[in-house]
Amino acid sequence: MRQPGAYSNLLSGGKTGPHSLPLARIKKIMKKSGEDVKMISGEAPIVFSKACELFIEELTKRAWAMTLQRKTRTMHKEDVAAAVMETDIFDFLVGLVSHTPNPSAPLES
Amino acid sequence: MKRDPDQYMPIATLTRIMRRVLPDHAKVADDAKETIQECVSEFISFITNEANERCHREYRRTVTPNDVVSAMEGLGFGSYVEPLTVFINKHRAQQDCCPPPRQATHQPPPPQMARLPGVDGYVPSPPAVDVANYLEMPQMRDYFVGPYRGSGGGGGGGGGGDQFDHFK
Repeated sequence: MRQPGAYSNLLSGGKTGPHSLPLARIKKIMKKSGEDVKMISGEAPIVFSKACELFIEELTKRAWAMTLQRKTRTMHKEDVAAAVMETDIFDFLVGLVSHTPNPSAPLES
Repeated sequence: MKRDPDQYMPIATLTRIMRRVLPDHAKVADDAKETIQECVSEFISFITNEANERCHREYRRTVTPNDVVSAMEGLGFGSYVEPLTVFINKHRAQQDCCPPPRQATHQPPPPQMARLPGVDGYVPSPPAVDVANYLEMPQMRDYFVGPYRGSGGGGGGGGGGDQFDHFK
């Protein structure tokens, strides 16, 4: 029985393979992350597809907790931002979710 | 400002994953979805940079799954290590069972079906490609350099050295 390669239907049609998140797109983002990111093993995007699922689930759960604190049922961008601010391991996202940085906030040395 | 969709995970897929952990009555505004899309791409870049630095420190050029997982562990995502290890091991076991089709001309011919006397039907001969050569498959070969190229098969399915510690 013919088995598709990891990227076969992704490179041709941009559709997802057996993984939820599109591997070719993950690989594109990986390559764009740095000038010197040249060679990526075929399995690395596959690992990321699962890791991103875990990340999305965790961020969503934390953001929903913020939504509940506001006593509402609709999650907004502010809830995602609040979840990022509250979670240490999401520190790398602080710049992304803060549109206007607080000039009075102390700079970390 | 127009967003380049190629830089983000598809919003429909993202929403499906979010729905797994939200109650049925939960609503998610578009701005929340877009923010999470951006966060996911930033996550990939953040981890990849760290993984790439690890590679360079060890004088390697290819970012491997082990680099990615080690980077996550070092950056506070240690809770992801176990589920990722299970996931990649399952994926490799599946690949061993049903390897992807060969494409390059110098690959060995496909296994011949042998007709056994007294057996109604054909029985496939053992597969010609072993697990160690899986990494030499064209779609994998493009992304491998260094110890994986021309070695004619290293460790089973995972290469040599400490590069796949998480998945042994």
